[in-house]
Amino acid sequence: MTRSVAIAAVVIALLAVVVTCEVILHNAPEADPLGKRLLYLPSAEVLRLVSLGNDGLMADLLYMWSIQYYSQFDFREKFLYLDTVFNLITDLDPRYFDAYRIGAMIMSVQKHGDPNQHKEAIVRLYDKGIRAMPEKWEIAEWAAWDAYLVLQDTDQAVEWMGIAAERPGAPYVLQRLYGVWRDNIHGWTVEDSIAHWHEVLAGAETKTEINLATSHMYDSYVTLHRRSLDPMLRDYFERTRSCPESWQELVDAGWLASVPTDYLGNPYGIDTTTCTMVAHKKIRWD
Amino acid sequence: MRAMLAIARNTLREALRDRVLYLFLGFAVLMLVSSKIFGLLTVGDEGKVIKDLGLAGVQFFSMLIAVMMSVLLISREVDGRTVYNILAKPVRRWQFLLGKYLGLLATVALNLTLMALVMVVMVRLYSGEWDMGLLFASAMILLEMAVVTAFATLFAVLTRPMLGTVFTLAVYIIGHVAEDIWLLTQHITAGVTRPIVAAIYYMLPNLERFNFKTEVVHELSIPPGEIAVTIVYGLAYTVLVLVLACVRFSHKDLT
Repeated sequence: MTRSVAIAAVVIALLAVVVTCEVILHNAPEADPLGKRLLYLPSAEVLRLVSLGNDGLMADLLYMWSIQYYSQFDFREKFLYLDTVFNLITDLDPRYFDAYRIGAMIMSVQKHGDPNQHKEAIVRLYDKGIRAMPEKWEIAEWAAWDAYLVLQDTDQAVEWMGIAAERPGAPYVLQRLYGVWRDNIHGWTVEDSIAHWHEVLAGAETKTEINLATSHMYDSYVTLHRRSLDPMLRDYFERTRSCPESWQELVDAGWLASVPTDYLGNPYGIDTTTCTMVAHKKIRWD
Repeated sequence: MRAMLAIARNTLREALRDRVLYLFLGFAVLMLVSSKIFGLLTVGDEGKVIKDLGLAGVQFFSMLIAVMMSVLLISREVDGRTVYNILAKPVRRWQFLLGKYLGLLATVALNLTLMALVMVVMVRLYSGEWDMGLLFASAMILLEMAVVTAFATLFAVLTRPMLGTVFTLAVYIIGHVAEDIWLLTQHITAGVTRPIVAAIYYMLPNLERFNFKTEVVHELSIPPGEIAVTIVYGLAYTVLVLVLACVRFSHKDLT
């Protein structure tokens, strides 16, 4: 009995010593507690070897660790090795959608350092994901929205949305978004726009999809027609000092072969106060 | 054949008496606890993490059973002299060995099936889908274990249990890094070393061939031809190693 009590006491005492040592070591101040842990982070090749065929699980563990790790930072601090860590995770599992998404999000919130460098890192990460999952439209769409809303880089957003829209199984709305975004930036001619909406219309299946594409196509043709008709009205006004009441006047005067019509075949109007062409878009939505 | 199956049945019974199924319970607890913890820690698709963890767990626990039990069970028969009682009956040595092997494989298969079912149910609970691809990946792990167990059986008749365990583990590790041996051949410029290393690569078991975890987790398509060749590869390798084990066992001095 006495012996058992003595053994129990020794065990408890040793346990107390072990716990005390750990508490002391744990609380000892470190010069660079965060960076030190990452300094010897193994490469993807080494981790792949060590995992013995469980690269995916290794990527999961590193991903979960990274979320805990970077949540310790204040957004004004330098997020240490952020690029390296998310590259490592996506090297281990190149199809890890969440790692690209969350990695880019963490990269975008840091305020410390050069914003251009952060942006380049985000673009690199998303490009890697888009390459790694060539059949997935989701990653490209996510990247496009991040570029549009977070990076506020419309050109990049359009490029990624274009990739998303072209991928198999991409919802129709992506093609439409791509067209709308491209219409809104420079370098996208109205002819490009018309060609794009012709493609979209060819693939549209539902009434709503057809109507939406038709509407965009209508607008594109209006822009195209306005290019020649508005200057013609200006010329006519300068010569006659009056704006024509209708296009028929121009036909009668030999300026036009026939009354110009819109994409749907309806004649355009003329706003006589500004002396410009007017389009009356009539699409049945029901 | 009947004698072989009788030995296999007894081996399975013996393994169950040794509470091998406790490992299955261990796996179930691991899945339950870690899924809960990982669910709290991760952001995004919990299902992916549970699938990765589940498949790694199935592989790890199956490997534990395959390596530990196979080496122990055969040596136990020899050391306990019970092998004499069996071989005194009209049972050939190779029948005894194959019976043992099949019994051990059945033990591994039983555990693996239970673990796979737990994993499928856990994935259903977390992601709301019945992912039958996990059963395919588990079946491929079983094929891998058939090869590993065959090696364990070979080492069990070649050497002592402890060394047998070490050798089998070595084969398991080498089998998973075999691709790097192939990479090595790409760095050797000329001479006889390159064909020698390449020959070693082709002869060693490439256990990564049975690894379809990534494809299953990410729902990628797998060419049926690849699956067929993998199955043939696994079965052929298993038979080859078992033939070597039987040859060695038939000449082994059991006294």
